[in-house]
Amino acid sequence: MALNIKVGPIGLLDMLKFANLDKDRDKVINAAPAKEITANFPINNFAKSQHPDYQKFVIDEIIDHTSAGAKTFVLKRADGKTASYFRAGQYISLKLPIGDSVVSRPYSISSSPKWAFEGKVAVTVKTNPGGFAADWMLTNFKVGDEVIGSEGLGNFCYESYRDANHVIALAGGSGITPFLSMAYAIRDGIEDFKLTILFGSRNEEAILFKKEFDEICAVTDKVKVVHVLSNEEKEGYEHGFITAELIQKYAGNEPYSIFICGPEAMYRFVQKEVVKLQLDKKYVRQEFLGATKTVWEQPGYPKEAKDKVFKLTVKQGDKEIVCDCNANEPILVAVERAGIKAPSRCRAGECGWCRSRVISGEVFVPEETDGRRWADKQSSEIHPCASFALSDLTIVVPGEYF
Amino acid sequence: MAKFDIVIVGAGNAGISAAVTCAAQGKKTLLIDQHNLPGGCASSFIRGRFEFDPSVHEIADYGPENNKGSVRLMMERNGINVDWITVPECYRCISTYSDGTPMDVTMPCGREAFIDAMEKYVPGSRKSVTDFFDLMLEVNAAQEYMMDGTPNDSKYMQKHFPNVLRTCGYNTLKVLKAMKMPEKAIEIMSVYWPYLGMPLDQINFFHYINMMNVYVERQAVIPHHTSHQISMAFMNRFYELGGEAWFNCRAEEFLFDGDKVCGVRTSLGIVECDQVLANINPDIIYAKMMPKELVPEREKKLFAARNQNYSTKFAMVYMALNKPIEEIGIKDYCIFFQGSADSRREYENMKKLDNDYNILISYNTLIPDFSPEGTSVISFTKLFSKSDEWSKIKPEDYYKVKDRMIAKCIDDVKRRLGIDLTPYIEEVEVATPMTFARYLGTPEGTPYGYELPEWDSMLARMMDINKNFPIKGLRHIGAASFRGDGYSSTWLNGDVCAQLACKDLEEGGTN
Repeated sequence: MALNIKVGPIGLLDMLKFANLDKDRDKVINAAPAKEITANFPINNFAKSQHPDYQKFVIDEIIDHTSAGAKTFVLKRADGKTASYFRAGQYISLKLPIGDSVVSRPYSISSSPKWAFEGKVAVTVKTNPGGFAADWMLTNFKVGDEVIGSEGLGNFCYESYRDANHVIALAGGSGITPFLSMAYAIRDGIEDFKLTILFGSRNEEAILFKKEFDEICAVTDKVKVVHVLSNEEKEGYEHGFITAELIQKYAGNEPYSIFICGPEAMYRFVQKEVVKLQLDKKYVRQEFLGATKTVWEQPGYPKEAKDKVFKLTVKQGDKEIVCDCNANEPILVAVERAGIKAPSRCRAGECGWCRSRVISGEVFVPEETDGRRWADKQSSEIHPCASFALSDLTIVVPGEYF
Repeated sequence: MAKFDIVIVGAGNAGISAAVTCAAQGKKTLLIDQHNLPGGCASSFIRGRFEFDPSVHEIADYGPENNKGSVRLMMERNGINVDWITVPECYRCISTYSDGTPMDVTMPCGREAFIDAMEKYVPGSRKSVTDFFDLMLEVNAAQEYMMDGTPNDSKYMQKHFPNVLRTCGYNTLKVLKAMKMPEKAIEIMSVYWPYLGMPLDQINFFHYINMMNVYVERQAVIPHHTSHQISMAFMNRFYELGGEAWFNCRAEEFLFDGDKVCGVRTSLGIVECDQVLANINPDIIYAKMMPKELVPEREKKLFAARNQNYSTKFAMVYMALNKPIEEIGIKDYCIFFQGSADSRREYENMKKLDNDYNILISYNTLIPDFSPEGTSVISFTKLFSKSDEWSKIKPEDYYKVKDRMIAKCIDDVKRRLGIDLTPYIEEVEVATPMTFARYLGTPEGTPYGYELPEWDSMLARMMDINKNFPIKGLRHIGAASFRGDGYSSTWLNGDVCAQLACKDLEEGGTN
């Protein structure tokens, strides 16, 4: 071969250097002191403190919003540490010990992110028909009780490089909570954007956080709240529902982003109104819809499965549990009812934390809440919080750390 | 109690690859991971109507039908099928040469095209760059000879691979200079250096030329549907072969029978086993997951010698744009933006949070349906070398730092390509070293392993593989193992270690 490359002046030494790579490495290692091996890294500690396996809270205070049928639970870290910092608009997943089960529920945080430094977060729970966990909390929770919760989760937050500087929030019922947190964050100088909230309530008396918003609006002109009363006509309030015209009335001429949070019926209504505004998708953001309560009405659902009860085999580690699974409810509900501690967070099919594998059996995944990854859809992976059994099933669920 | 032949801890690239190899050899295999997904970095996440790839740039060593690389051979052997897309060009790099003149080069794949392009950018470089590619052939042959599992005969090597023996003991910069490669050509040649995490004056020449071979000659590939598609291809094959996987399952401690590992205590219970493949940084194992008195002295010295120089940290910015990539005006799949083409200077600058280094990946240039019609997805990779700037960030400032990363990326594209992305951003997400630390659990969140300085090169680590595994019944796999980091290296490392563990099992021996 014509090629003749030498790095050092004498090629032979180069060869020796190659042959000795291993010995030279040994020399470096042997010359070093035998040091106790440690693995303690600030970056990892940061990650752990902001994304702990779970946070143990005690209920520090309960604020009763009687006329709105709601209560705010102020949760404080049981260990006295600061709570994981969160972004206004995020939710927390609470693990509720109901009967022999641990049931998870996502609740938007209603307090200022600033509270995290005092170890506190607040969630506001409103009674709703058939709201099994909400009613349980409203009835049972008392000051001093312990509650397990997640860190702040979700992406229903303002992002200055994506959203318009003017956010028009469309809120209904307890869907106001993330916007209260955002309003506090603006007041506290944590977030910087203009927030106009169109807040639908039945009547003046049923308005949640009226006083809190009045106080915030008194100290910052970046937050404005427009109450829209469906069942009452009153001076100083809008009447009716949140329509495209109403949004335009308060939008002004600047570009705006729309953020939507509320009960399912409200989503269905305002979505149609928002379409009329012909906004680019980028300017419309919506909090999770939640898994459907009437799966049999979903397009493509095989009607014969409705009301059936199937046998569900759940594997977790080397444990195996067999239980009933009602076709009308998400598979996750059956797993929880069987007393299995399985992971779940958003309960809306979106976050993927409950991601599990189907070993055998058929499931139905409603398209509008199918938040699975592309490859998971091609495989046997499901999000049990928004998947429904169509036959006897065997699934593998991940572990849970709390 | 659960009992398996082999337990693999950590379902990252090395773990899933090892898992398939073990199961394919009929071993009762358990794969566990502390997260709820396989793949580690090779994953995906969803924001709005978009699915993002957290980490992939270009996958090396797959290769075309007529020049199959190690990754392809391993995947074919193990029955892993992915619809790959070939990356047609090596890279575009926009930078400044160390003499202060601006650089904007696009380097094609294939030896002749690469040499021609280099001659166009740096007249007079043809001879040395041709020599480089000739040497590459010798390196390939030597590598094949050295890795075929038979003992190496030094006489044979001296006769057949003299140039390899004379160059591969040195760092890359030294060899390229000895080859009389013009400085500008060296700087163009060095664009890939961050993939190995070390500047040219440290990274071993054998390692570097090997990387150039797999990128330039074999061409890179990317998966059609994010890295999660690859990880699921491994997982589905693993399940098909009878393997079992437990997710959200943390290994807490390795259990010993005398001085040999005999099991793992996990958050889902104790698992007995004969062999462990640990896809965990060894320092974490030694510090937290086994009895201190069983930690070998040499490992303590190695720890001291390495001085906790974990390799590159990443911050990623992911953007979904509400316009097709052609309308945005980005044409290249992969563009490197550098502050300086001098890798040493750039490495030093990477200690700073606000450094100028950035890699722009534009998926839709190669995969039109990567995102919904009328949209496109891009990602930015910012790299950081060892410093404590990330360590000092407070929780309340964390999101501001994330926004700073976004601002920097927008500014880079504006400055370097003259394109303003701001009107098009439909989704944006940022992953920092903290994010990687959260999902990977690696030291300082590095997706890589230990740095690869001259004395601790891949080649030096590989000359006596068993020295890397001083704990009986346990082999370190993954980015911190002997082969170094990156998708391909870790898949291959997992596969090799799995084969060694299977062999131990069959022969009743231990490493």
